[in-house]
Amino acid sequence: MEDVITDIPPPSRFFLEDLNIFTPPSPPLPSPFLLFSISNNGKPFRPSLLVVAISFPSLHFFHHVSSKKRIGTLILPEIPFSGNSVEPSLRDKSCDIYAINNADESIVVVSVQYPVTAERSHAVAKLLIGEQINPERVLILESVQSRNFRGKLSRDDSFAFKLETSLERSSKNSPLITGLDYLPSGSMVDGLAAALLVQCQLRKIRGSLCLSWPEFGFSSNSLIKNMLLKVLPGIELASNSNDEDSFLRIAREKDYLDSELYT
Amino acid sequence: MEFYAEEGKKLDEACSTLVLPALSVGNVGQLAVDLLISSLRAERIGYFDDPNVLPCVGNNAYAPSPPGDLSLPLEAFDSSSNRLTLVQQRSPVVKGMMVEFAKNLANVAARNGKKHVIVLSSLDFKQWQNIDMSSGLQIYYLSSSSTDGTDEDCEKHGWKRLPEYNPAHKRWEYLSSTIEENIVQDDDLLFEDLKEEDYYPSLPFAALFSCFKAKGLKVTCLLCYCSEGDNIPDAFQLAEAASKILIQSPNDFEGTGSGRWIVPFSWKSVYGPPPDTSLF
Repeated sequence: MEDVITDIPPPSRFFLEDLNIFTPPSPPLPSPFLLFSISNNGKPFRPSLLVVAISFPSLHFFHHVSSKKRIGTLILPEIPFSGNSVEPSLRDKSCDIYAINNADESIVVVSVQYPVTAERSHAVAKLLIGEQINPERVLILESVQSRNFRGKLSRDDSFAFKLETSLERSSKNSPLITGLDYLPSGSMVDGLAAALLVQCQLRKIRGSLCLSWPEFGFSSNSLIKNMLLKVLPGIELASNSNDEDSFLRIAREKDYLDSELYT
Repeated sequence: MEFYAEEGKKLDEACSTLVLPALSVGNVGQLAVDLLISSLRAERIGYFDDPNVLPCVGNNAYAPSPPGDLSLPLEAFDSSSNRLTLVQQRSPVVKGMMVEFAKNLANVAARNGKKHVIVLSSLDFKQWQNIDMSSGLQIYYLSSSSTDGTDEDCEKHGWKRLPEYNPAHKRWEYLSSTIEENIVQDDDLLFEDLKEEDYYPSLPFAALFSCFKAKGLKVTCLLCYCSEGDNIPDAFQLAEAASKILIQSPNDFEGTGSGRWIVPFSWKSVYGPPPDTSLF
């Protein structure tokens, strides 16, 4: 049972220092930046689809895409590189950028494998959309945030919701995500996923956000994999992409280490 | 802060009154603005993008249709018949950046012809010094009309000037001088523990009040005391008070059923799902 005295208040409520306008701001951090291993002659990259993978099932999917080529990385100066491996690993604290050529589409995938704080999300979102990368369409993959969801959540159930920009909803072309309901009114999304969709809405870009549940689970992994195979038909996955043991081991590690108990 | 207009819309100078919430205990100001937007059937005209506001996104907050219509952190709505612009804020301000945010908002308001700003907010019951149970659910106000914060029109509505307002108090003075003269922050003051009398000038409504006042706009803050809990009744009380000075076109302000208020669709789940009764 939740302890109403000591539990962190729900996100709509405030600590006293949140409402104190004389609270000094945190020391400023150096700006995030993009590093590319290939040049585009100073022009922004214009992929037909930009995919930002934040949820573990989506990170797992794109980790096993065999036809991808790493073209860059996003550096958040406060995130240390120590412990990262030379070859891409799901355990790395990294935000690598990949190019995938799939049929006639040029696809750029950003695998966000470190936590981006709410305070940094605005800067990171503006970096990924509208400056050096100008996508035609954007797909963001995140998990349902239990602290912001106003319905019932059970780890035994797997499901997904979506949110879309006005342009995506009104477009006569086929929607990117089909077969999903919209996130119910009253529930919210915050952090990087929200910041990215907001930038898409403001810049009138066709943007879709897919929210899956549970955060770590083989059922949500299958759900996202099937959805992405429909969105990206013909994409090639590595032969070990169905390795359940490896998936569950890494999922358990992340669930344990990233738990709010340890913040 | 940048404004992104919806197709064919703009910040209309004819809507010379601006209504907005100040973050506060129980989110009462935000709930009250939600009620006003919903009941006035105000039309969204655009969005503000400010790096000092934390990001959030959700489904249509006011109605089940159009389905999937996005709600963003800072949205502007117009009620043209009442010459009102309403700004709704859905997420907190980055810690320590409230004054900066208030300055940005004040700059936009002044540049776009706003003349009168109404700030809706709440105060913590725990801070209430002079408890007067005979006054019932009293609305307090603070106005830029005079140096002591009083305003005749507000008094006529039976509202009481916030008695704890003292413009000579060091934190009110510090706030004014920081905003008007852009002086460097006083670290001694910032790191000093808050005393009881420091509570009011330390709140977000104080930053908005001071910033809009510095821009030469008329500001009225409407405040009510509350505790954190089910704050919907407090929101109704505050919105009811605001409607007395905002609504010029009563015909546009009719709810369905017995009341004149239209409850926003998102309020159905504002306090989360019902308890799990399968235990019993």
